[in-house]
Amino acid sequence: MTRILSATLVRDSDDAIACAGCGHALGPAGQPWKPAAVLSEVAMKGLGGAPYSAADDALLRRFLCPGCGTLLDSETALPGDPFLEDVVEA
Amino acid sequence: MDPITFSIIRHRLFRIVDEAVITLKHVSGSAITNEGHDLMVSLYRADGSLLMGGVGFLHHLTSAAEACKSIIWRFEGDINEGDVFLLNCPYTAALHTSDIYLIAPIHYEGTLVAWSACFVHVYDIGAMNPGGFSPDSVDIYTEGFSSPGLKLVDRGEIRRDIMDTLLNMVRSPEMVALDMSSMIACNNVARDRMQTLMAKYGSETVDTACASLIDQSETLLRERLRELPNGRWQSRQYFDVKGETYRVLLTMTKKDDQLTFDFSGSSEQSPYGINCSKWASWGGLFAPLFPLLCYDITWNEGVIRPIEMIAPEGSVVNATRPAPVSIATVGAIQAVNNAACTCISKMLSASEKYASEATAVWHGSHFAIFMFGRNQRGTDSIGILTETFGGAAGARAIGDGVDVGGEVPNPISRMANVETMEWTFPIRYLFRRRQQDSGGPGKHRGGTGAEFAIVPHDAPDGGIHYVISGKGTDYPMSEGLGGGYPGANSNYRWVHNTDAANDGANLQPFAQALNDMPGEKENIAWGVYPLMDDDALYVRWNGGGGYGDPLERDPAAVAIDVRGGLVSGGTAKDVYGVVLDAGEVNDQGTVKWRQTLRAERRIGEAAE
Repeated sequence: MTRILSATLVRDSDDAIACAGCGHALGPAGQPWKPAAVLSEVAMKGLGGAPYSAADDALLRRFLCPGCGTLLDSETALPGDPFLEDVVEA
Repeated sequence: MDPITFSIIRHRLFRIVDEAVITLKHVSGSAITNEGHDLMVSLYRADGSLLMGGVGFLHHLTSAAEACKSIIWRFEGDINEGDVFLLNCPYTAALHTSDIYLIAPIHYEGTLVAWSACFVHVYDIGAMNPGGFSPDSVDIYTEGFSSPGLKLVDRGEIRRDIMDTLLNMVRSPEMVALDMSSMIACNNVARDRMQTLMAKYGSETVDTACASLIDQSETLLRERLRELPNGRWQSRQYFDVKGETYRVLLTMTKKDDQLTFDFSGSSEQSPYGINCSKWASWGGLFAPLFPLLCYDITWNEGVIRPIEMIAPEGSVVNATRPAPVSIATVGAIQAVNNAACTCISKMLSASEKYASEATAVWHGSHFAIFMFGRNQRGTDSIGILTETFGGAAGARAIGDGVDVGGEVPNPISRMANVETMEWTFPIRYLFRRRQQDSGGPGKHRGGTGAEFAIVPHDAPDGGIHYVISGKGTDYPMSEGLGGGYPGANSNYRWVHNTDAANDGANLQPFAQALNDMPGEKENIAWGVYPLMDDDALYVRWNGGGGYGDPLERDPAAVAIDVRGGLVSGGTAKDVYGVVLDAGEVNDQGTVKWRQTLRAERRIGEAAE
């Protein structure tokens, strides 16, 4: 029995947070999951085409599934700012 | 109370607000009211609590409630039938000085039974810069006329001394007078219809229905919250002003049937007018909450009861007097709108039942550009370029965002057609169209923003000037959801054609793109600039946020976007992983290319 936690994450039958696509586990339910994802920080400038004329220090953080490479979440960030933390209680 | 009578009264309250809005628009003469729908009308209980929230900019619904309560306190013992009160002090209840509240008591058989309140963004409020948004102001004292409450109409008679004093302090007083008339008329209609309702059903019956309606909203929202999972979600907004970067950080916690919005960690207040006051942030979080969580619940005091807000004093979301706040509605308030939209949508995404209601951020950054100067008829014109209300819808769990599809905080926003703007100001449009690659990539694409360029035309003074208080140029503000990318940034260019003019080349009169324009293209975002002689102004506004992984987007949808000019071929391949041959999807090539991109994604460092 799984329960959705976000557009890309589920809580699996072992009470773990998992990728909805491949089931790769990302840690226990009720805890931050982003540290277990693959992090890709890319410059915002030009990212989605020419109109992305962002400041040089603007980043898009991409949190990727280590199992299947699905993009699980993204957030605009400046270097050094902490990850946004989303926690659905177990 | 029998449910039929209750339903009839509830429906009549909706219609009273609707008719009052129509009245407001019919009397008003400004594009910002009629085209942009920068307005609000709502009904309030005798104690000032929200009874029936109307349409327009939704962050005003709760602020006007505080305005009503302030008027009740200030004028205790001196509130009479036929009175109309004015309040526009941002540190009392208003959002900024140019959004004037006119608040009217509604009496029935001599007893105060309710209030109506409305606002429009008036033509001018006498701030340093014309139009109300005043980027040159560094304190509230230079942001124009500001009142914590005054009686504008006394027992049905306009107080000429008060009205004339106000009109003596603003530019284009004849247009401000029309703004005031529209709001007085709006309140008159609301009062008359409420009195008619009470005459038909009795004041006690109507009062009982109103109290029940509020209780019903509270019950329904609390039930909905209990259906949603407990947890906490975060969102962060960056916005840039004159080289400085500000943050709005929101942590939303949901526990049982309560929601808490905590803005701790947001930046300290700014010396520029992008700050907002406490009541403005309070209203700002409700603007997305009403449509996202209460789309089938009446917007009233009952919705407010389960909500708590923490906003640190002295921060950009709870500035202290005399900090400037004239840009608040397109500054910190909009960042609050966006952050609340994201947190609420993340919570909805964690529910099987409500996940389809989740949305990426729509139109994260308004651009306030107010033109001012003599128009082609030799009279003064002050007003906003209403394209800022065109917006761009965020992508949702169920589909793409609508191109130039508006915004969440104002369900009825729209922009004027080109002819209206060319009639209003001595300008000519070179082009106006959807902007390629501006919609946030995702499984569902964010709606595109747009771009346009204007030049002076038929101007008795050789052109016109404008006040710009833009943001969202350094950091995109339409955040994506569920992995979706944010919508593209906004951009504003002042095109000087000095060299071209000196060479006799002049402005390319039929330029169809920014690159076709000769001359220097200077990025601008804040201050007063000329649109004189050979100047041009180019504006590109942000797209909506995307939803989900762009590599999961239907390749056929990407191909359609490319053929329609909404997505470039480069973005189709690099971001969406779609290989096209002569505009058609190469199925095998796309599968292989997406496999390659996914494999590259897995080769990375763990975030920890």
